Amino acid sequence: MKIRVLSLILAIVLTLGMVGVLSSCGETNYAENNTKIKIGASGPLTGGAAIYGIAVRNSAMLAVAEINAIEAAGGEGTLGLQFEFEMYDDKHDPTNVPTGYANLFENGMQVSLGTVTTKPGLEFKVLAKDDNVFFLTPSATGDAVPEFSNGYQMCFADSNQGGASARYFNENYQGKKVGVFYKSDDEYSKGIYDQFVATLDKSFGTPVAAPFTGDANTFDSQIQLLKDCDVIFMPIYYTPASQFMTQGKSTVKANAIYYGCDGLDGIDAIDGFDIKSIPQEVSYLSHFNSNATSGPAKVFIDKYNAAYDTAKEPLNQFGAAAYDCVWAIYEAMKVAKANGKEIPANIAPSDLCNILTEVFNGDFTFHGITGKTEGDNKSTISWESSGYVNKEAIKYVVKEANA
Amino acid sequence: MSNFVSKLKSFKWKKYINYVAISIVILVFGGLSLAGGLPASTVYLLEKIAISIILAVSLSLVVGFLGELSLGHAGFMCVGAYLGGKVAAMLAKTAIGDVGKGILVLIIALIVGGACAGLCGFIVGLPALRLKGDYLAIVTLAFGEIVKVLFQNSSAESFGGPIGLSTPRFDKKYLFIIGFLVVLLTLAVIQNLIKSKHGRAITAIRDNEIAAKSTGINVTKYKLTGFIIAAVFAGLAGVIFSYSQNNISSATFDYNYSIEILVMVVLGGMGNINGSIISATLITFLNVQLQNVLKGDLAVLKDLLYALILILLVIYNNAPALKNFREKYNLGNLWHKIFKPKHDPANARDDAARWDVVPTKISMDEVLSTDVLIDTTGDNSADIGERGGNK
Amino acid sequence: MDFIITLVNGLSLGGIYAMIALGYTMVYGIAKMLNFAHGDIIMVGGYTILLFLPINPVLAIVAAIVFCVIVGIVIERFAYKPLRGSSPLAVLITAIGVSTLLQSLAQVLFGSAPKIKQINLGALQLGDLKIDYSTIITLVCSIIVMVVLNLFVKHTKTGRAMVAVSEDKGAAQLMGINVNHIIMVTFAIGSALAALAGLFYFLKVQTMTTTFGALPGIKAFTAAVIGGIGSIPGAMVGGLLLGIVECVCQSIPELSSYTDAIEFSILIVILLVKPTGILGKKRREKV
Repeated sequence: MKIRVLSLILAIVLTLGMVGVLSSCGETNYAENNTKIKIGASGPLTGGAAIYGIAVRNSAMLAVAEINAIEAAGGEGTLGLQFEFEMYDDKHDPTNVPTGYANLFENGMQVSLGTVTTKPGLEFKVLAKDDNVFFLTPSATGDAVPEFSNGYQMCFADSNQGGASARYFNENYQGKKVGVFYKSDDEYSKGIYDQFVATLDKSFGTPVAAPFTGDANTFDSQIQLLKDCDVIFMPIYYTPASQFMTQGKSTVKANAIYYGCDGLDGIDAIDGFDIKSIPQEVSYLSHFNSNATSGPAKVFIDKYNAAYDTAKEPLNQFGAAAYDCVWAIYEAMKVAKANGKEIPANIAPSDLCNILTEVFNGDFTFHGITGKTEGDNKSTISWESSGYVNKEAIKYVVKEANA
Repeated sequence: MSNFVSKLKSFKWKKYINYVAISIVILVFGGLSLAGGLPASTVYLLEKIAISIILAVSLSLVVGFLGELSLGHAGFMCVGAYLGGKVAAMLAKTAIGDVGKGILVLIIALIVGGACAGLCGFIVGLPALRLKGDYLAIVTLAFGEIVKVLFQNSSAESFGGPIGLSTPRFDKKYLFIIGFLVVLLTLAVIQNLIKSKHGRAITAIRDNEIAAKSTGINVTKYKLTGFIIAAVFAGLAGVIFSYSQNNISSATFDYNYSIEILVMVVLGGMGNINGSIISATLITFLNVQLQNVLKGDLAVLKDLLYALILILLVIYNNAPALKNFREKYNLGNLWHKIFKPKHDPANARDDAARWDVVPTKISMDEVLSTDVLIDTTGDNSADIGERGGNK
Repeated sequence: MDFIITLVNGLSLGGIYAMIALGYTMVYGIAKMLNFAHGDIIMVGGYTILLFLPINPVLAIVAAIVFCVIVGIVIERFAYKPLRGSSPLAVLITAIGVSTLLQSLAQVLFGSAPKIKQINLGALQLGDLKIDYSTIITLVCSIIVMVVLNLFVKHTKTGRAMVAVSEDKGAAQLMGINVNHIIMVTFAIGSALAALAGLFYFLKVQTMTTTFGALPGIKAFTAAVIGGIGSIPGAMVGGLLLGIVECVCQSIPELSSYTDAIEFSILIVILLVKPTGILGKKRREKV
């Protein structure tokens, strides 16, 4: 017994000695040696949600390359800085986020795009708050993601999407039978669904609910439940939506309307999915139309198609939002510089965060490719101090109903 | 002083090597962390390693010593994480939330989480009395999935539903230390259990249940005990996990996670606790590091590499055809060749008295099978000779 | 009326589960191992069909079966055979490794984006009732496969040898049966069934992803255990039962979210009442 006590004491003495040696270490600025401003992000690059993360990575890198070209040319209003982008593969698994975030931070991340999806975002926001790192997420739509002062969203929050969709229903689809096809174990889908049901006029009665769970991909029962509905609301991502439409095209009413949220963007780009063979109308409320044929969106789509193999890495609204995020951060930095703020390449993340929050909370407006655009003019986007985005959503009709 | 040295010499280092190693880890990294010299990425890695070790050692009790295949270990962890996390979240806002920086709440959460998981262990242990082998495996798998679904469908106020439960985060400087202290507790309980006569009863049940029963061993009692203890520690790991995250969602605890823990146990060697500790540490470390190193398109290769290494390792470790090769070129032998070139009779020990080497299972099939070659083609006779010590 | 449609949907899903469960049961009964990679062979079959479908549908089916059989035999030869005679857990872990390997290989080859191929075989109209031809084909085929398999096992030489191997490997070897050969044949049959299941599942979901086979794989495994693993009619019963339960649960919105939990609860209850599944044989233990 004595021996154990003694060795314990020995060990404690050793430890205390070490503490004494090391106590001189303080908070480190990992960005100290940066020569470029480092933008970090966390998102799925492998696994089931990889298409979203890959689109974000590609688009952000596209934006960074464009900004670097402008900066390299120099001229009026430029920052004299170069940027780089690093993305961590979190596989849409929140348990990977702490290590991922710490790695990004220790690699010198100064500003961030947050996460691509909501669940990892809930983890990311607290870690970023502790270090005071600014993040503007392209697509983590959860209401709670921009909870703290350093977090902002480029996408619409879930409850806003649910509410906006319900208001659209109230105005346009009175007297029709409404059904909802949603994923009850998914935070995005459930969040929108709850708000949708709460906002929908009482005159509709209770909408027919047809939930599914997990990785289910046979929807016979749900189709059966929804076959008499005139309008089917689909707050889900496009993969299950396309499966539902394919499997139900002859059972669901031919003149029914499929109405989704931003998750449906890109549905017509799925390999092998012939949307023209679907008799029903397919539309969605979103901030970007990845099928645009004109305007700033089209310019971006062409750039993306030129840079990447879209058969393997298709573009969707996640990518467009990420492109806007990078540009918005850049523009905000330019505004800060015009206001007399110093931004060196090795600025501490916390200092940069304070500068950027001040700009975003001020009357900063950004002109981007997401949101409602008219002609060749870019959209107007601003942010509330709560972190939610202010821009106009549009209903895109991907495919008209067959006459 | 000479008394001290002699005691130091007589101290059974080998017996306590894992306690010593983990204590050193706690002291070194704990010291570094308190001094502020540990980067956050290392801290998170250590948290993960501690959680993995607790899970692997506790599952090792069921799989390695009790001999029952469990594919639902993550389910127990889920129960611990949710209930412990819920208690912590509720208490954190009250007055006791501030006692000792929240350490009191953490202890209460550990007790609640462990107890609830233990209760589930009891419930799952009941069918274990009736079912065998793969049938029990699927029941444990089913249990894990049911728990997952129930938490997923909970209301937003109770356990957060699909978005998950928001849990308080413990100061990251200390959490991994607490994690490793729980590892020590796990080792103390499970190792002592196995060393005791109860442990021998448990391994007897594994080797031959009917024979064990006929010698008067209370099979029911020991099977349930094994399941409950393993579940309690999985629950504790869950509570630590919930403290290491800001938001836990039950989707994390699917059967893939259970399988990952099982892989740790199997690669560490069945019924070998130190092996489980080492493989849990290595697998967790490699998982995290590979994720950091392989970026972009290479990230896809991580799973590919992981799968290949897993298959090759299992085949290397278990293939009957490679037995001679393994015995010739394993690390243990290498160690002996370099450091103990001569066989010293003083080092001889009675294997049966060692707790950490449990005799491997001898199945009746093997004994009776025709595979036992009695021909005299040289190779085998040499083999028998070696075993008999005639060399 | 609605209930009949639900029932038909359930039968069609159940037919697919049954087909996969038959493969599970065969391999388990003879090789005594849980082949966790079985679901991923379905995925291999699905991708093969997707690749060859533009050329010729019949060629696609044949190619899928041939390719799956080759993959099954290769896996058996290089991953499972070296472990014969070692602990069943080691084989289980290897199977999990093979499953991950196949999935990540598919991701490298085909990317993670889903691929859709719309196939419409038309539907049979019976008054108000509309049944897709694919549903009928699935059901009929799974019943035919079950009957043929049963006859094969009972009346052919190879089939009898399979039964012998499953009863006692050592004794079978003494009787002059080439155990390795029999196990290889079993894997070939199991993989061919997986390819067929892949075809029918693909007809149903019409989407290929790298995790295509994971969900039906685990469901079919459950079905095989419910029916009594190792029993051929049991796999059929378990598969159909599970398919119907799944569709009935999903047709009731309040229960829909709990579908998985209900299925697994049924499994537990059945195992508690009958520890070897509905049609499983009770094994007497030798002391």
